[in-house]
Amino acid sequence: MSSPMFADSKKYAPSKRTGFRKFSEAGLSTYLMLSPFALLFIVFAVYPVLASLRLSFMRYNAICNPDQSPCGSVGFGNYQYLIMDDSRFHKALLNTTLYVIGSVIMGMIASLTLALALQEDTRSNRVLRVIFFLPSVTSGIAIVLVWGWVFRGDDIGLLNALFNFVGLPTVEWLATPSLAIPILIFMAMWGGAGFGMVLFLAGLNSIPAMYYEAAVIDGAGPRERFRYITLPLLRPVMVYVGITGTIGAFQIFEGVYLLFPTSVGSIGGFKDMALMIVPYLYDMGFNKFRLGYASAIAWILFGIIFAISMINLKLTRSLEDLR
Amino acid sequence: MSAVELTKKQQKALDKAMDRGGNFTNPFEKRSKNRWRRSPLYLLTVVMIAPYYWMITSSFKSVKELQEVPPTVYPKNWISSNYYDKNFDPMQFKQDVIQGLFQRYPDIKFGFFRFMFNSVFVNISITILTLFIGSLAAYVVAKHRFRGKRAIYLTIIGSMMIPWQVGLIPGFLLVDDFGWLNTYWAYIIPALPKAFIVFFLVQYLSSIPDELIEAARIDGAREFTIYWRIVLPLLKPALVAMMIFTAIGEWNNFLWPLIIVQTQDMANLPVALAFLRNAGAGNIGSQGVIMAASLITSIPTILLFFLTQKHFIRGIALSGLK
Repeated sequence: MSSPMFADSKKYAPSKRTGFRKFSEAGLSTYLMLSPFALLFIVFAVYPVLASLRLSFMRYNAICNPDQSPCGSVGFGNYQYLIMDDSRFHKALLNTTLYVIGSVIMGMIASLTLALALQEDTRSNRVLRVIFFLPSVTSGIAIVLVWGWVFRGDDIGLLNALFNFVGLPTVEWLATPSLAIPILIFMAMWGGAGFGMVLFLAGLNSIPAMYYEAAVIDGAGPRERFRYITLPLLRPVMVYVGITGTIGAFQIFEGVYLLFPTSVGSIGGFKDMALMIVPYLYDMGFNKFRLGYASAIAWILFGIIFAISMINLKLTRSLEDLR
Repeated sequence: MSAVELTKKQQKALDKAMDRGGNFTNPFEKRSKNRWRRSPLYLLTVVMIAPYYWMITSSFKSVKELQEVPPTVYPKNWISSNYYDKNFDPMQFKQDVIQGLFQRYPDIKFGFFRFMFNSVFVNISITILTLFIGSLAAYVVAKHRFRGKRAIYLTIIGSMMIPWQVGLIPGFLLVDDFGWLNTYWAYIIPALPKAFIVFFLVQYLSSIPDELIEAARIDGAREFTIYWRIVLPLLKPALVAMMIFTAIGEWNNFLWPLIIVQTQDMANLPVALAFLRNAGAGNIGSQGVIMAASLITSIPTILLFFLTQKHFIRGIALSGLK
């Protein structure tokens, strides 16, 4: 870390430290260079998080008229109501959980399969990799709008046109409660499999070839090589893809916002069939202006994500200890 | 145990790999000779491309053709009226004539171009500034010794564990208090402190030896000069990767702009798209215009990706696996 040169140079001799040199070897410049980021970070990253924690214990609506819409502390009231009584929130929680489980597991399988299938460095594989990766760089809104057309309930909807073509009846895709989550999971897989694939490819390429050579010489077939070399050595990548995928999936918003509006200007679709945590947060915060309540939702989201990350890490650690 | 003979091809691939240091694509899991085994892959590829194909082709279909049942797979004739319809007359309604994308928004100066400008301007500002302040901070955290350094770095890393929606509402109230709602300030300033960029750059810098920097210090170079002349060039590969991530992420940003935009003229492209769609939701005739806008929104990031593919993929691998 510190080289002797630094300490020996006359300029930074410890005995002569005055002013900012007391705090930093490089003096004031350390703080001057750090300050633009630090100031913005405190104002727009640290403060909002702390303020949101405070808001989550309040009834707050930005107007704060004592007669009609009073503001003030409610203790754990918001959390209590969310967890005990708010059936819309329960629905959102259930939907999000189903969506996260489905999209993470299936997305992981899809990414790994793609990575294995496109592992070899041929020209056609390179083209296919790019095609599968494209959704990761495309505007989510633009893509959701196309999906909106694909899943239209009338005969002009693309999937219905396809259905009619092969003689199946028209389906009201976006108005059928049991289809909402599967459709969103499908969209997530379409949009995210390529990203996971790239990570898995990087993981696959970092496995030394001599392991495979040794296994082949020992008579291991393709299945054993996959089971005893590829899979264990990919575990760090799997953990990473799993955790980041879970965190990302919990934050789903755009698909629900655009494809599942309700007639009363709220979000979630018919009978809240596609209501999720962040859309509900948006609905509470920016349609109904219950800002304290929405902040409590945000902190519950954080709690869930934090718990899952911790469990995931602990689980992988203990699995590693077993070996 | 039966020793398996390596095929000539496998042996060759292995030798080549060993020459390169042993890390490479596994030579044993080769593509199956049976072409049919790969056919599901090609089917999937069609599913991947279909939305893009549909976006492009239907943005060039006429209103009449868009209303056909079943929909036409390939446009009968490619027309550009969804972008600009020369038969459109704001004074009178005509059958099958549509208000092209660039003819809409008569009360916004420059019409749809305004949204494109908003997106480009916000994007460039954020990308440059966020990388500048981020790399300055990263240099200090990685290469200076000062009091409070650990606490600062831990705060930065810790903040990455908190989903950004947690700060959404106070962030909105803050921007409102500053009087920034519906301005570029609200787009740009809160987006600047990105913890991940500092984290990534610190990681990258810690693998760079200190000698260069210290040699410059002994020569009497000022700290900012060291940053500008020595650290920035060293950081270039990492900065390029972060630049691409930031640019693409900000271009596709939706929820925050949706909240801070109060009048349509301040919308970025994704928000303008959502407004456009909400205006003509059920009407199939306006789908062509919506697809045209979607296409214009999608092209820049895809183009950027194609131009910087290598850096991009390397960046993902670096940030994911370190």
